[in-house]
Amino acid sequence: MHLKGYDINILRFTWGVIEDILSHSESIKSFNIRVREHRHINPGQFIMLWIPGLEEIPLSPSYYDGSLMRITVMRRGPTTEAIHKLQIGDRVFYRGPFGNGFNLSNKGRYLLVGGGYGASPIIYVAHRIREYGYEAMYVEGVKTRSDALFIDEADSLGLNTALVTEDGSSGIKGLVTDYIKEVISEYDYLLGCGPEGMLLKLLELCNRYGVECQLSFEAIVKCGVGICGSCELYDTGLLVCRDGPVFNSKMLSSYLGGV
Amino acid sequence: MDLRVKLGRLEFRNPVILASGILGLSGSQLRRVCEYGFGGLTTKSYTIEARKGYDTPILAYVKCGLLNAVGLENPGYRELARVKESLKDIGIPIIVSIAGSKVDEFTTIASYVDELGFDAIELNLSCPHVEGMGLELGDDPNYVYKIVSGVSSIVSIPVYVKIGLHRDIMATVGKSLDGGAEGITAINTIRALAIDVYARKPVLSNIYGGLSGPAIHPIAVRIVYDIYREYRIPIIGVGGVSSWDDVIEFILAGASAVGVGTVIAYKGLDVVREILDGIKTYMVDEGFKELSGLIGYANK
Repeated sequence: MHLKGYDINILRFTWGVIEDILSHSESIKSFNIRVREHRHINPGQFIMLWIPGLEEIPLSPSYYDGSLMRITVMRRGPTTEAIHKLQIGDRVFYRGPFGNGFNLSNKGRYLLVGGGYGASPIIYVAHRIREYGYEAMYVEGVKTRSDALFIDEADSLGLNTALVTEDGSSGIKGLVTDYIKEVISEYDYLLGCGPEGMLLKLLELCNRYGVECQLSFEAIVKCGVGICGSCELYDTGLLVCRDGPVFNSKMLSSYLGGV
Repeated sequence: MDLRVKLGRLEFRNPVILASGILGLSGSQLRRVCEYGFGGLTTKSYTIEARKGYDTPILAYVKCGLLNAVGLENPGYRELARVKESLKDIGIPIIVSIAGSKVDEFTTIASYVDELGFDAIELNLSCPHVEGMGLELGDDPNYVYKIVSGVSSIVSIPVYVKIGLHRDIMATVGKSLDGGAEGITAINTIRALAIDVYARKPVLSNIYGGLSGPAIHPIAVRIVYDIYREYRIPIIGVGGVSSWDDVIEFILAGASAVGVGTVIAYKGLDVVREILDGIKTYMVDEGFKELSGLIGYANK
């Protein structure tokens, strides 16, 4: 909710140095960044990444351990294009973290669902869930095999995993939401991030099967601190940057009505 | 205890109002903000055409406040019909902020706002980061008179002029009142610049932005005090309120209502309740029953 105070310090830019770059596919790269200053980042929270001279964009890290932060970036505009051209040793600037991350305070069986590059915060939360020792399954939905991002990493964490490809080139063929429908009843909680259509479908499934969910939404974020209003979620008055980006099913259902 | 205040023809359940520029892009945002206890709301500035606003970064941290250069982002004044529709039963005064570059832009929007049944108009003649649509309008007292008299002569609702750090503040205020303004909103953010020392570049995409937050509070208090002393008119004090005592300070200086903005970035919307609780405690401790009795108290 838009209630909590921020440590003023997180509004200030800090920076890190790119230590490693991994190309997942033609349009998606991950960058390991050695950060200069430790700022606690919960899975699902986001930073505003800034390349001086270009725009600032919201990104939810795909891993963070206090000194190493990984961001996963899809190329889709001039700023992300410029980020893709960065080299090892380059500096990146960021402020944050902002927003509410995933709440893992309840012990139980977790179903983790990432769609496309929305898998970023989901693989980070998978690391945290493994530390907590919760039972969990990691599901990644992509168009085709070469788009898969973190399925091997989730395997190596010892989680049950499933890759769902729309074209059937690997794993299970079909839509990730169709697969979720088959397994959802075995879980207490669902954590998801991905395209809007997928999230709304997941919300519907969770409501139908009585599973509590937390879903991370994407939006155009400008100020990052809940004052400019650019990132309003539909016409709810809720702000993705401050009330989200992770919203729970209770909140979504009460604001979005009978989705 | 009575927190109600009168601001000219308007009456507020308490003096804390949402300053223009914060979360006023849509009716749904304003509705939500209202739930947190504000006495009144000011919309973002609306212009004739929709404006996309500037590229990010639009916000820069500085030690004593924030710099912003949003660029008057808004969906265009026609959208105000939808805003009004979603706020029709809200029960607190809504002030619509208007920005423009020519007299007829202000009058076109103002008459629409009046027709829609909003409670008041605030003419933004002091935006420090959009060329031709702000500070320089307010810097020219004769143009201020043209805009304000043009608007005041065609609307029935109160007109406020939002001023900034103009060349001759008292001349700008005087011409606003000559033009028919019922009162003044003081002050807007102050043109400023922040450079990141590691990036070695200005942080804001627009380079310049408006400084808000604690740094500008004493300046705003000074201006409110001076205006009240000179004219004894309704004033909305805005600038760097971060807690209840800043609100009381504005009221003692002569403000009848007080705008809150930047502190929401730090403390969230719930800060309104904290401020109102602080005001109530102060009134009990100091033996005041009616907040309105404190307006201009330090200025007598």
